[in-house]
Amino acid sequence: MAKQISEMLKGTLDGIVLAILADRPAYGYEITSQLRDHGFSDIVEGTIYALLVRIEQRGFVDVAKVPSEKGPPRKVYTLNAKGREYLDEFWTTWSFLSERIEELRNTSSHLDGEGK
Amino acid sequence: MAAGWIETVTGSFEDKKRWRQYKARKQNLPQNYRTAIDGLERYFMYAGAIVKGDIMMQMMEDLLDLIEQAAADATPIRDIVGDNPVEFAEAFLLNYEDGRWVNKERKRLTDSIDKAVSES
Repeated sequence: MAKQISEMLKGTLDGIVLAILADRPAYGYEITSQLRDHGFSDIVEGTIYALLVRIEQRGFVDVAKVPSEKGPPRKVYTLNAKGREYLDEFWTTWSFLSERIEELRNTSSHLDGEGK
Repeated sequence: MAAGWIETVTGSFEDKKRWRQYKARKQNLPQNYRTAIDGLERYFMYAGAIVKGDIMMQMMEDLLDLIEQAAADATPIRDIVGDNPVEFAEAFLLNYEDGRWVNKERKRLTDSIDKAVSES
């Protein structure tokens, strides 16, 4: 199951991370641990970091460097207007997708039932 | 500017300066994090085929930001790259597509198909 879930997450992780940032600004490690709290336990920090680089490049977040007690400054990510727009679109797409897939499951299980 | 033609021969001075700074920052990492970043760096050089110096430098600096932070937080290396480091490296590389050699060929393919469509 681990392999399949990581494949399926690929297309949706951007939206999931933006949804977390919609709540409040956060830095990389906070985002990873919040994802873990939400049950995405296999996600590693590097993957999230690569994703954060991407959403920054696409202009969905504003980035501020905040000094930390130890080590280099932390990059704190804040969802901006463009990111919010993307997130709205993501939820619309997600509803569409999950509805269709659910429908497909109901149709096929119905057929399974008839076959017996 | 004189720098113009010299830089076409030697490569960008700015990129060289960034590369030296990157190397210096890397030296300050604990040994195990340095081993990890060296491995990733090598993979990015070979598999990335990034031909644009400034994009490559951006990528290496982004990687270093991640590793430095991880070292400061004492995040285990496995928690950074996961069980499949290649998967992580590929996801990371995707962000720098603009600088990849294959981009030229992608454009060539797109143009060929456009041409083919216009010929029919």
